[in-house]
Amino acid sequence: MSGSPTRTGRSLLLLAPLFAFLVAFFVWPLFSMVSQSVSDTAVLRLLPHSADVLAAWDRLSPPSPAMQAALMEDLRAVDDAQALGDMVRRLNSAQSGFRTLMSKTTTALADTDDPPADLVSIDKRWQKPEFWLAIANALSPLTDRNLLAAVDLGRDAQGAIEHLPPDESVNRVILVRTFWISALVTLACICIGYPYAMIAASLGGWKRDLMLAAVLLPLWTSLLVRTAAWFILLQEQGLINDLLQWLRLTDGPVPLIFNRTGVIIAMTHVLLPFMVLPIYSTLITIPGNLMPAAASLGAHPFRAFLRVLLPLSLRGVASGSLLVFISAIGYYITPALIGGPGDQMISSIIAFYAIGSANWGMAGALGVVLLVATLLLYSVYARLSAEEPGRS
Amino acid sequence: MAEFIRFDRITKFFGALCVVENLDLSIAKGEFVSLLGPSGSGKTTLLMMLAGFESPTSGAILVDGSAVNDVPTHRRDMGVVFQSYALFPHMTVGENIAFPLQMRGVARADTAERVRRALDMVQLSALADRRPSQLSGGQQQRVALARALVFEPRVVLMDEPLGALDKQLREQMQLDIRDLHRRLGLTIVFVTHDQSEALTMSDRVAVFNKGRIEQIGTPRQVYDEPGTRFVAEFIGETNLVEGVVEAVEGQEATVRLASGLRIVSAVTGDLAPGGPVHLSIRPERIQLAETPAEQRNCLETEVADSVYQGDHLRVQLQNAVHPLVAKLDRRSREFPPGTKVYAAFSSGDCRIIRP
Amino acid sequence: MVLRLSKLVFALLAILFLVVPLIAILPLAFTSSVILTYPMPSWSMRWFTELFTADAWRRAIINSLIIGSGATILATVLGTAAALGLRNRLLRFRGFFRTMFLLPMVVPAVVLGVGMQVLLARVGLINSYAGVIVAHTVVAVPFVVVSVSGALAGIDRRVELAAQSLGAPPVTVFRRVTLPLALPGVLSGAVLAFATSLDEVVLTLFVAGPNQRTLARQMFSSIRENISPAIAAAAFLFITVTLLAGFAVILFRSVLARRR
Repeated sequence: MSGSPTRTGRSLLLLAPLFAFLVAFFVWPLFSMVSQSVSDTAVLRLLPHSADVLAAWDRLSPPSPAMQAALMEDLRAVDDAQALGDMVRRLNSAQSGFRTLMSKTTTALADTDDPPADLVSIDKRWQKPEFWLAIANALSPLTDRNLLAAVDLGRDAQGAIEHLPPDESVNRVILVRTFWISALVTLACICIGYPYAMIAASLGGWKRDLMLAAVLLPLWTSLLVRTAAWFILLQEQGLINDLLQWLRLTDGPVPLIFNRTGVIIAMTHVLLPFMVLPIYSTLITIPGNLMPAAASLGAHPFRAFLRVLLPLSLRGVASGSLLVFISAIGYYITPALIGGPGDQMISSIIAFYAIGSANWGMAGALGVVLLVATLLLYSVYARLSAEEPGRS
Repeated sequence: MAEFIRFDRITKFFGALCVVENLDLSIAKGEFVSLLGPSGSGKTTLLMMLAGFESPTSGAILVDGSAVNDVPTHRRDMGVVFQSYALFPHMTVGENIAFPLQMRGVARADTAERVRRALDMVQLSALADRRPSQLSGGQQQRVALARALVFEPRVVLMDEPLGALDKQLREQMQLDIRDLHRRLGLTIVFVTHDQSEALTMSDRVAVFNKGRIEQIGTPRQVYDEPGTRFVAEFIGETNLVEGVVEAVEGQEATVRLASGLRIVSAVTGDLAPGGPVHLSIRPERIQLAETPAEQRNCLETEVADSVYQGDHLRVQLQNAVHPLVAKLDRRSREFPPGTKVYAAFSSGDCRIIRP
Repeated sequence: MVLRLSKLVFALLAILFLVVPLIAILPLAFTSSVILTYPMPSWSMRWFTELFTADAWRRAIINSLIIGSGATILATVLGTAAALGLRNRLLRFRGFFRTMFLLPMVVPAVVLGVGMQVLLARVGLINSYAGVIVAHTVVAVPFVVVSVSGALAGIDRRVELAAQSLGAPPVTVFRRVTLPLALPGVLSGAVLAFATSLDEVVLTLFVAGPNQRTLARQMFSSIRENISPAIAAAAFLFITVTLLAGFAVILFRSVLARRR
């Protein structure tokens, strides 16, 4: 077969529609999200004249009359109350006191009967360079503020990176929690999934089929249905609590839902197939005579497992763990429905910023963190599964 | 020779299927015994039971006087060479060979020395750091052999170890293994379905059929004196004809075939006249001539086809009643098809097989 | 013996863990009570009636069917074409294309959702059927690519060469040989795409308006806000549909296997 130009052309023609579609509706959205997280036009959009004048300012001396005039002109031209609100919020986060200063200033500027001569006459604070510095810093269309804030960092007045004060440091807690819950779920999946895969691989006939069907059935079932099912099982009057009380293991209902236990149980159930299947598929490629060979060479079954079966199936464990971990860190539905407020993971926070408070910059920045983590882990996974098994 | 391994009335069922039936077999120390038979005849199952991978449904296996039925595989101290070698793919050649020594807690320096010697023995010293997947089939075979021998097991079990090799390599390995057996005084139980392999290597051959041993004996015995029709047909090629014993005189018997033709055959043991028997005549014992020969048996027949096969000439003979095959020396003259010839053989070239 | 017993117990417990939640929810679809717990006072079909008559649920079911069909058609067409293109082993950047086509399966739904919302708002597709269909297609298309690629990989190239040697021009070879052989893969890809769309919540949350609420989205907010046995009825519906779809896929695969 030759790679003739017509054949290549035909292949490219077939690939083009999906490629274009994904560029438009997959790559571009992700790109928009990233650009959203670093774009910062709330101030620049409203203060075009000030931007010109402030570019020449030495950032130390008190404000010149030209600067004040430009800012006054810009502020008078603002007719969008929401945009103004965005700008004030942005400036206030850099320099406290801006909110009151701005409302006082805009009120004074709106008074057309007695227009103020300059800003300092409205409020003495306009003399202080700090406020002008805040505006100057906020004028850049690109910012790393959101990205830094996503990992609880910020910039001080001099522009150096610093840790945010503890009362603003919520994201790192959530990131750590996300990774911790994902790690626990991965561990639980290994503990259940490895023996499960090993037993399934050692069986034959209908028993093996049954065990595989039991793994595939949840995979086939809607995630939402599975989460709803766990909701029913875990609730206070749910079947698990009924069972525990019937067995006299506990007197009152054990809290299983809206807490960490419930989240981990439900997520383990949902992700277990992703652990079992890769391990199973490496186990069945291991020749059946290796364990008998190890035994004939004098290895106790447990040592034979440690020296032969485990090293040979480690690739499956690694693939499965990565798959489970990658899926777990992006999970939204299960923690949202089964978890309590203390169990929300990074996806929930992203959804909160995006839908709840329309803070696209923060949603985008946290999205970038999650995306980068996912893609890094996925590249490890892809490399692992691309390597030919059995070769060193 | 003293008995070393003994299978005592071994029976093995897989579900309802009986694969080994009430089998007795003794093997002496230092002996090379082949278990030969078609697939499904129970020979591999017997080996698996000796290694401890399977346990007999009933009966006992004794090694050195004591029953090993309840001894787990890893304490049986038997070296097994598997059909597809079963080398550990994640270990190097050296690590593979060191494995049984590590399992036995042999000191590190001692292990290294013994691995080196084992590699020398199979002439693979240069490849100690390779992985099995980087070796040829023959090299893998030799690693498997070294690994099964390095811990000096009481007995070495081989399950069709040469099946995956090509013909030339297989013949070389047959000689190598036989040589090792003699040099080290090993006790070897060797499973194969290849009769020439069994004949080449063994002290004794046990011919298996349907879960039972049809015949056990030296290669010469099972080839020259097949005890049953199955053995006669399974080992080597033979001409089998049916007939009835007409008369027995001393060491010779006259057998009358259905066509009325009479063949005189040598007899060992008792034989009563009147019973139906089979006669086995090996093709290479038949001589052809255009004139009647001075032999005990001389049948008039006709050449149907003649094929030159390099080391011999194979002639298909067509008698009115009994088609025969003869193998002639490669230098014999070729008879064109249709030639009338006489097929001659002595009474000693025939073997009577009792039903 | 002890080992074998403990293996058996472990396997049984694990199977129960995997399967019981799915079974436990089913009977509750037929409860007559208004709360979603056992024991059930009596059997009733009231929640199915609710599902098919209550405006929110009925709407959601219809929306799911509209959006699911749209996404399935779009994903199947795009994915099948792309899988055929990927078949050319000599194509440069083949690995790149393949990775890109599979990546929507990997990227967390919330991340894609944020980006999708920003973009669709910009191009005016937010809160529209087209927007939701496009979003679902993005996450459904990898399943089609994988499924069709698998079917194509199973086709013996020599069969196509034979057709060529027997005088069939390339288009005819494709129509009479390649496509029929790949059809089970295309169909199971389509079923998987539909199942993906049916189950999709997160993207829907970000890009759909109140008029495009799907069944999954409706279940999500219902579990969150006012949980009722209607959820169990919806789950019953879901499980039935996915089991049927699963059987369909197994059927297609066995057709595929028999042809080999």
